[in-house]
Amino acid sequence: MDPKPPSPSSPTHGGAATFLSNLPSRGLFSTTTPSSTLGCTRVYICDHDTSPPQNQLIKTDQMNILIRSLLIKKHGCHVDTNNTRKRCHVDTTKSTSGSSDAKSAIKRVATGSVGSGSVDCLLGLTVERLRMMLREKGLSVKGKKDELIARLRTSYG
Amino acid sequence: MSIWNYVVTAHKPTNVTHSAVGNFTGPQELNLILAKCTRIEIHNLTPQGLQPMLDLPIYGRIATLELFRPHGETQDLLFIATERYKFCVLQWDPDASEVITRAMGDVSDRIGRPTDNGQIGIIDPDCRLIGLHLYDGLFKVIPFDNKGQLKEAFNIRLEELQVLDIKFLYGCPKPTIAVLYQDNKDVRHIKTYEVALKDKDFTEGPWSQNNLDNGADLLIPVPPPFCGVLIIGEETIVYCSASAFKAIPIKPAITKAYGKVDADGSRYLLGDQNGLLHLLVIIHEKERVTGLKIELLGETSIASTISYLDNAVVFVGSSYGDSQLVKLNLHPDPKGSYVEVLDRYVNLGPIVDFCVVDLERQGQGQVVTCSGAYKDGSLRIVRNGIGINEQAAVELQGIKGMWSLKSATNDPYDTFLVVSFISETRVLAMNIEDELEETELDGFCSEVETLFCHDAVHNQLVQVTSNSVRLVSATSRELRHEWFAPSGYSVNVATANATQVLVATGGGHLVYLEIGDGALTEIKHAQLEHDISCLDVNPVGDKPTYSNLAAVGMWTDISVRIYSLPDLNLITKEHIGGEIIPRSVLLCRLEGISYLLCALGDGHLLNFVLNMSTGELADRKKVSLGTQPITLRTFSSKNATHVFAASDRPTVIYSSNKKLLYSNVNLKEVSHMCPFNSAAFPDSLAIAKEGELSIGTIDDIQKLHIRSIPLGEHARRICHQEQTRTFAICSLRYNQSSAEDYEMHFIRLLDDQTFEFLSTYPLDQYEYGCSILSCSFTDDSNLYYCVGTAYVVPEENEPTKGRILVFVVEDGKLQLLAEKETKGAVYSLNAFNGKLLAAINQKIQLYKWMLRDDGTRELQSECGHHGHILALYVQTRGDFIVVGDLMKSISLLIYKHEEGAIEERARDYNANWMSAVEILDDDIYLGAENNFNLFTVRKNSEGATDEERSRLEVVGEYHLGEFVNRFRHGSLVMRLPDSDVGQIPTVIFGTINGVIGVIASIPQEQYVFLEKLQATLRKVIKGIGGLSHEQWRSFYNEKKTVDSKSFLDGDLIESFLDLSRNRMEEISKSMSVPVEELMKRVEEMTRLH
Repeated sequence: MDPKPPSPSSPTHGGAATFLSNLPSRGLFSTTTPSSTLGCTRVYICDHDTSPPQNQLIKTDQMNILIRSLLIKKHGCHVDTNNTRKRCHVDTTKSTSGSSDAKSAIKRVATGSVGSGSVDCLLGLTVERLRMMLREKGLSVKGKKDELIARLRTSYG
Repeated sequence: MSIWNYVVTAHKPTNVTHSAVGNFTGPQELNLILAKCTRIEIHNLTPQGLQPMLDLPIYGRIATLELFRPHGETQDLLFIATERYKFCVLQWDPDASEVITRAMGDVSDRIGRPTDNGQIGIIDPDCRLIGLHLYDGLFKVIPFDNKGQLKEAFNIRLEELQVLDIKFLYGCPKPTIAVLYQDNKDVRHIKTYEVALKDKDFTEGPWSQNNLDNGADLLIPVPPPFCGVLIIGEETIVYCSASAFKAIPIKPAITKAYGKVDADGSRYLLGDQNGLLHLLVIIHEKERVTGLKIELLGETSIASTISYLDNAVVFVGSSYGDSQLVKLNLHPDPKGSYVEVLDRYVNLGPIVDFCVVDLERQGQGQVVTCSGAYKDGSLRIVRNGIGINEQAAVELQGIKGMWSLKSATNDPYDTFLVVSFISETRVLAMNIEDELEETELDGFCSEVETLFCHDAVHNQLVQVTSNSVRLVSATSRELRHEWFAPSGYSVNVATANATQVLVATGGGHLVYLEIGDGALTEIKHAQLEHDISCLDVNPVGDKPTYSNLAAVGMWTDISVRIYSLPDLNLITKEHIGGEIIPRSVLLCRLEGISYLLCALGDGHLLNFVLNMSTGELADRKKVSLGTQPITLRTFSSKNATHVFAASDRPTVIYSSNKKLLYSNVNLKEVSHMCPFNSAAFPDSLAIAKEGELSIGTIDDIQKLHIRSIPLGEHARRICHQEQTRTFAICSLRYNQSSAEDYEMHFIRLLDDQTFEFLSTYPLDQYEYGCSILSCSFTDDSNLYYCVGTAYVVPEENEPTKGRILVFVVEDGKLQLLAEKETKGAVYSLNAFNGKLLAAINQKIQLYKWMLRDDGTRELQSECGHHGHILALYVQTRGDFIVVGDLMKSISLLIYKHEEGAIEERARDYNANWMSAVEILDDDIYLGAENNFNLFTVRKNSEGATDEERSRLEVVGEYHLGEFVNRFRHGSLVMRLPDSDVGQIPTVIFGTINGVIGVIASIPQEQYVFLEKLQATLRKVIKGIGGLSHEQWRSFYNEKKTVDSKSFLDGDLIESFLDLSRNRMEEISKSMSVPVEELMKRVEEMTRLH
């Protein structure tokens, strides 16, 4: 249907008339006197089982949104390794100009804390953070989180 | 009254909140789906118009409703979410004609602040997910799998806390929402998000737009090819997409509803808060949007939802006035409006106040409501029963019978009206001037009483008198044949149809004649053992002019029998029992079911289902219609057959849902009735009343009869004064014509018959009428209207000033006699021990009516009681005062005469925000609160300690699902002293959705019985969409959810009568009560409303 304003049949009727032509019609309400009585409708009595089919009783995922997103990221990093790496590349190219002092400061803090010691600390970090640390040290950023941690640990001696 | 209460709906909700158009009931059928709060109505769109199809009761208040079609489906599914966080997906099964639950679930979260701007439920146009915004800061997603099944839902954090609207965008590779929100500086913006289903999170969307119109409130997603979204503001309308931004200014308006006209989304209808309907057009070149255009079309009711149906016909659903079916005409009418209203659908909501009166003084209550709001405000007179609109009347004494006759067999109209008196018969006919005039039918015997008349085949007429049956030509009006009663006998009763005559003479003789062309043939004679009291041969079988069965009522053995014709063999005999003889029998066919009705001499009516093939009688039921003998007659109105029972309480018996219903008629006493369908008075009835013959038309056959009095302004309080036959209302008029919007408040006096404004008292600027009362005072016989007002100054949080005005009605005018200034809003006024009790802000204050020295009178403060947040609703009984507080539930005060003081006696310590209170009896008080619950509390006078006595014990709790604005004692039905339900006290309530309901206090024994029935019914009648009745009726607010107690759901219980016989028997078995007993007891309850 082309609702382009057609040439008005009678130029005296301006305004809305030009837009009221070509209203959609499927042949309903074609008689001039619509007969209708709302309210005298049959009341539906539902005496069959109305419980939904199996699996269609919908519940909400009760997991905390934060925990869920962390978990998804953890699972998702396999699949998206390539993506993340690309993104990381972009990041690093940007930061090479040395403009993002704040970022590198955080990195330093992070590495510092790791440098002071414990394995637990490394475990608590995200894969991305670990990769960043590896990259700083010029090490490979490939592999699973466990491998990254192992590599970092060996680099700290 | 008692603590055992039965709640039932007398008038269903009529406020249309949502509407949708789609192929729900079949791939080829187009439906209009309407949501009316707790009900869904399905209508079919046909070439002839809207055809109602089904009314689905939903166990929840519908918050959102959407039609959608998953991939691979041939018909649309219906998605509903309720305010109590349940949702369901419904499908119509055309084969079984049933609603099937496709999916359902609970979408509530344990923590979360419910949204302020209402719940939002939307479905992705490509059916990838359902989105719900129920709590601030959370967006819930229910994804679809590729088979159209729903998967586990999850929440996504939404940064925008003050969300105004969310819509899915069309034509996006990933499901994308547009969020219209307000930031903490009250500036409005729009932002888009893509829903990443795998990550269960949002990613930034393709575009956003900051700093929109400050009134932007509504988003309209535009379908392909344009895509994008329309943002409707108060002063601008903006089209926004990734590539385009177009804005136009509009006249300031708050758009309440929109409806899409074209499938490509190039035209929309917008309805604003003043009921103006606009057309919004997207101007485009191919698929590029070049601009917007808005045109005013005309005025409708204030729309809450708009659905374009077809062929320029639009449904406008309204919350504040009647819903309408309108047509958009290509050419404007003389007033410049393109809108033509084709039909209106009554909406009583919001019922702000009402009163129960007996205007016609017939002993039957009528409800007069303040309905609607803004320009659509009106008064509605709601009465049970059917109205006869008298068109003509003649004085005629002593009518013994009436029949209408045609001048030719194939004439569609009746010509003659035969009126029989004790010793003569007169024939009336319409003359050329359309007047009823006496005429002659030569062949008729006019010197004696006529026992029966009927049209006969071959253009003949039949007259039965006490000694003969006369066959008369309708054209020549001459006698063609006559059959004489055997000598020594006279005809006592007779009946006939077009081909058959049955007469009964003394001694139990029954003679059957058949009518031929110019001949009456005696076919059969039978001798019965007793005298015959009444006869009927109304054809109910396949042949329209011939009956195979005759109904006979008998003296002496008090029985009703079915005889076969023509051989007069006894088929069935049914003893009526008791000593009252049948006075009138009638065979009739209503909605395809044949019935035998048998009216007794004491106003009772028996009905049986008649098996046409065997002639057997089944399903005997007995109801009481009046106290005098009844005569039964069929008539038709709008192509349906109904039965008129003439008696001291005339009743129309009709069939709805294959169930017999009884509706009383607004006439006092009718001795005879016959249908008289003449050219001048089409579809009319001739009615013989005491000393008068009148001709009138009958209203639509329905249970409640509603008359509308449009006011054009918003009535907020109403009160009736019987002595002066007036109503007084507090009303306000919104004035938009001038540059500035302002309101004017009035006290108006109306005649209680014509509803004309008799007199108006304008209130001051900012002064609202808050309460109105008709009362008298001690030592003064006059009746007064007292009005309580409040000055609502925009800068004040709570009114600090108000007035009590005392008016007297003199010569149909309001005369102000006294006024008293108050220190706050006068929320309630009550007559109390010959004094005036006012609730003023947090205080209850008692005023005396004092005579001054100069003979004038004034209100003088006597005593008061502090200690409420806002005392909004007050009821009194004797010395007791029951106060419904804004937020502190119900408290009970007592007035101590000796000390002249008001003291608190007890209170309910729950924090209920009240919307209405009523006193059921000395000890039990009823309250309604703003989470749509009802509860009852009991005074504990027998408590052992002061502490116990100071507590009002909660004895009943129930979720009504309706916001009650007012309770009033009274009844909508005529109370018959002899019926059981006549003794049951009832309270009527009115709600925002236009519901009128009845709360009946029933005896404990009955309560226990019905409670058991309700529990059994819950197992048989399932909630649509798998919603649970038990949960729905549980008392629910922010603090607690507890099972309902001491209240029964009458709507569920009365749906027992709509069940199939098998289901009834199933219930009867599990309750070990016979089906007839169950039906009788439930039918009794239906007569309460």
